[in-house]
Amino acid sequence: MTFLIVSQIINGVVTGMLYALMGVGLTLILGVLNIPNFAHGVLYAFGAYFMLAVTQLIGGFWLGVLIAPFGVVALGMLIEYFGVRQLYAAHHDYQLLFLFAVALILQEAIILIWGPVGTSILPPEHLAGAVNLGVTIYPKYRLAVMVITAAIVIALWLFLTRTNVGAIVRAGIENRGMVEVLGIDVQKVFLLTFGIGAWLAGIAGSLATPIMGLTPSMGFDILPITFVVVVIAGLGSVVGAILAGILIGLAQSLTTIWFPEAAQVVIYLLMGLTIILRPQGLFGKR
Amino acid sequence: MRRDRYSFLLLAVLAIVAPLVLRPVIAAEILIFAIVAVANNIILGYTGLLSFGQATFFGVGAYISGLMIVHWDAPLWLILPTAVAANVLLAGVIGYLCVQRIGLYFIMLTFAFNQMFYFIAYSWTTLTGGEDGLPGVQRPEWLRDDLAFYTFVAVLALICLALMKRIVDSPWGRLFQAVRDNPDRAAATGHNVRLIKLTSFVVAGAFTGFAGAVYALLYGIVPVDAIYWLRSGDIVFMTLIGGSGNFFGPVIGAVFFIWLSETVSLFWNRWPMILGIVFALVVLFLRGGIVEVLARIAGVMRRRRDAG
Amino acid sequence: MALLEIRDLHKNFGAVAAVAGVTLSVEQGSLHAIIGPNGAGKTTFFNCITGEVAPTRGHVLFDGRDITGSPPHRLPALGISRSFQRTSIFPRLSVAENVWVSAYGTHPLAAGAMLRHADTIPGLDERIRDALHEVGLERHAGRLADELSHGDQRLLDFAIALAASPRLLLLDEPTAGLSRSDTQMVIELVERLKGRYTLVLIEHKMDMVMRVSDRISVMYFGRLLAEGSPEAIRGDLRVREAYLGRRA
Repeated sequence: MTFLIVSQIINGVVTGMLYALMGVGLTLILGVLNIPNFAHGVLYAFGAYFMLAVTQLIGGFWLGVLIAPFGVVALGMLIEYFGVRQLYAAHHDYQLLFLFAVALILQEAIILIWGPVGTSILPPEHLAGAVNLGVTIYPKYRLAVMVITAAIVIALWLFLTRTNVGAIVRAGIENRGMVEVLGIDVQKVFLLTFGIGAWLAGIAGSLATPIMGLTPSMGFDILPITFVVVVIAGLGSVVGAILAGILIGLAQSLTTIWFPEAAQVVIYLLMGLTIILRPQGLFGKR
Repeated sequence: MRRDRYSFLLLAVLAIVAPLVLRPVIAAEILIFAIVAVANNIILGYTGLLSFGQATFFGVGAYISGLMIVHWDAPLWLILPTAVAANVLLAGVIGYLCVQRIGLYFIMLTFAFNQMFYFIAYSWTTLTGGEDGLPGVQRPEWLRDDLAFYTFVAVLALICLALMKRIVDSPWGRLFQAVRDNPDRAAATGHNVRLIKLTSFVVAGAFTGFAGAVYALLYGIVPVDAIYWLRSGDIVFMTLIGGSGNFFGPVIGAVFFIWLSETVSLFWNRWPMILGIVFALVVLFLRGGIVEVLARIAGVMRRRRDAG
Repeated sequence: MALLEIRDLHKNFGAVAAVAGVTLSVEQGSLHAIIGPNGAGKTTFFNCITGEVAPTRGHVLFDGRDITGSPPHRLPALGISRSFQRTSIFPRLSVAENVWVSAYGTHPLAAGAMLRHADTIPGLDERIRDALHEVGLERHAGRLADELSHGDQRLLDFAIALAASPRLLLLDEPTAGLSRSDTQMVIELVERLKGRYTLVLIEHKMDMVMRVSDRISVMYFGRLLAEGSPEAIRGDLRVREAYLGRRA
């Protein structure tokens, strides 16, 4: 039993870190552009399918992890530039609905290009198999994902706190008017933020391929979970999104041990609980 | 008020003509979704709240109806009120949680709760049949014939629309609009804004659940899609493409949606792609929906007539 | 007799004390102005009375009753109504419907009439007509509020406040952002209302305040600097310093 619990805890942290990457991206876009990106899930799915394309066409797992997210960045920026940007003057409901429509189109595009049947990608050979942790044996690849996502989170943190561009993005979350006053081209900030969010979704999607496999609906499956992460975390909180992501990952994987049918539902119960006890989210200011 | 009476008369005439040009089940499906879309517009058009979770109530209504028939062979006079009551309760609880937050968070919450109920339906296979749906939802004897069933649906739909019209014309309806236009001022004039939003949400939930309960009878099966959040997107689409600025607009949206989906799926099985493209175009270029197009055409014709 | 009493009101935002111990009372039937340079804490003070902001400490009493921290939507029923600094109306409703929302909010029949047609509720028409008549907007009753001119929209804002049949009317810088002729129009309206309602006026335009007020309280850095009749305030050296000091 202990070994099961321990491996489920590690599992929870690994999936939780992937949720966290998604949640951070969504929260950045939400904070800066004031839109819940309904296409965020489908960007994640494209991260996975671009990964598939790279490994099939060129070969090389890490090459895929490197290239695929930038394909997603390009996709995200196109969506921002040709769609969302046209709608800034309209009510945010319309931006949201536009992104929903884009999500529908892109998910169908995945089915048209790669077919409706799911597939998977094997982890790279040097990370195949498991490692003995004493209490349990655990797949090497998942541990690697944990390390990589942690590194990404730290790098993102450094970017946001130590660079000028990062400071502008943060200012955008706090107060969009301020960015305008500073004489910064807001549109560029929006494009950049969308790009960063897309990259995070892309890397999460490509890293997830050996763990969760690829299905055309993978984006729609992860989207509501990402929303839950942001609701639990509270508006604009990057740290909150990371912790909320891990919290949800853990809750999900621990529920799987005792009541696997409820593993998905428990996420939303946590969200409901948060709204009752702390409507602004665990780390939200208002 | 007189114009509304004409609109209802026109609707009744169209409802009589519909089964002559459409298969009765398709006509019935249109009317079921007309109820849902008009109900959604009470939230969207009148109260100014975008709910991305109306499938929750549609699905729960459908499952209640389906389960009561499959397991107990319950009569309709018991099923339909039960579905309404259950959805009033459910919309009350979900709505209470969702109106704690405004704007984007409201949308995300309705969406997330939808997903939660989807997963309950999806995972609880012994009850709902999960992915395969809940089959064997038999209509009662007197509704076996499709045309009889259509007539039944048409009568119910007209009653529902009349009731909803009554509600939006009542003080509640005006308060919905006041909250939509200016929640701060509505509060400062003595109105509890959250309560008003919640009322709007519950009214819509009740009618949506009712429509769902009728929907279960349509094809004799409750597919799990009935409660999936994409269905919520469909509902928003119908409302918007019909025109959310008008009480009857969403009815046109329901007609257009069902017609388009039926037509497209005849020759291409990637219907959501078309839906997405049309949706994107509407949002980018035609936010007033079909009603706005009609108004523009009417405007052009009037100007021509005046000029000529 | 005092209709509104404020006792030792404080409001802190973090380390900043926006209101730092204000005590004042507003006599029934008077027009009591609260003035002060921008940033003196007038708006925060106002929002503490209207319930938009919960005071950190202190009490608000209306007609002897403690209403501290009551949410905004409870006040009209007590007899307190307000106008907004930035015109606050319902743009997609007609002018009459705008006023209806307010009249209905304090209507004794409200709960019993929930499923009638909104326009057929007995007793409301008269109140709507009176409120529109008071501000001179009757002829626009059927128009969409959004279509009115700036000045008329401000008058509509007043009509909405009046339709609640308040005993106390709180006016938050009613001439802010208006043209000169519209300002004149609003000042005349305030003079007409004076005496019939108890009025609290937040304002920073000295000339208007001097002209219409019965009593003036001057706020400066969250505190009361002086209080008295317009003549007394005009002669008060500290007030001059506070105002002139800023301008110099």
